[in-house]
Amino acid sequence: MGDTLTDVDISIEQLLDRPWVCIVWDDPVNLMSYVTFVLIKIFSFTKEKAHDKMMQVHIEGRAVVATGSREEMEHYVQALHDHGLWATLQRDDKI
Amino acid sequence: MSDFSRDGDSYSLAISIDEAHVLINLVEQLLELLGEGDFQHHYDENDPFAQLMAMQQEVVAPEDPVLKRLLPNAYSDPEAADDFRRYTEPALRRTKQDSLRIIREQLTVLVDNEEGGVIPEVDAQLWLKSINDLRLALSVRLEIHGESFEIFENMPDEDPQKGIYAVYFWLGWLQESLLELLTQ
Repeated sequence: MGDTLTDVDISIEQLLDRPWVCIVWDDPVNLMSYVTFVLIKIFSFTKEKAHDKMMQVHIEGRAVVATGSREEMEHYVQALHDHGLWATLQRDDKI
Repeated sequence: MSDFSRDGDSYSLAISIDEAHVLINLVEQLLELLGEGDFQHHYDENDPFAQLMAMQQEVVAPEDPVLKRLLPNAYSDPEAADDFRRYTEPALRRTKQDSLRIIREQLTVLVDNEEGGVIPEVDAQLWLKSINDLRLALSVRLEIHGESFEIFENMPDEDPQKGIYAVYFWLGWLQESLLELLTQ
């Protein structure tokens, strides 16, 4: 019994500890070079990392560009919207 | 051929007067859509009472598809999205409007002087963002998708939409030319 309860406690804890993620979604308008430029500007990515993330957005339709607290992710989403990128935040899918 | 070039500490935009008028028209239409009038107050925007009143105004997701694209939801959950919008959308609108106004001012100088516009280095990023916002706005109206350029190329000249498509692709070209300078 005790073990089961402990297990449940741990999984709830893990659930609450799940970080937030900032996601950029693909759209047919933003230039690839512009998306790369914005990712470097906002996240201080290297050119290579920004390019990889941009390609991931383009090919897979979305990419996680940042992970952290809800406040941080809200700040990033706002900056991305300011630059015209389509971005959202949510709890991380993975535990 | 219209494009941006580096000119010492600033950038210069070589476009024709006609092209400048097209840009000014687009900028003004977007300003209007963003609700320019709502933010032309006499009072100081930092005034605590004004801020308190603004907080209590109902901010809801926009109906217009262009505004939906420029001011998108931050969360898939509608309640969280509305809550976030209440706190952030007025500032986001204002930032976009401020950029568009600066661009309108510089384009107006260009038209008045009938020569290439000078863009201070500090404003280059505003141009980049505003050109992008104009492209996004046009793309929603034109329902742009992956194959739109081929559609445009095969469009007969008499098609009334052809001119709008041309402006959309011209803006992309202009943005690319500024990006090249900024990433050099």
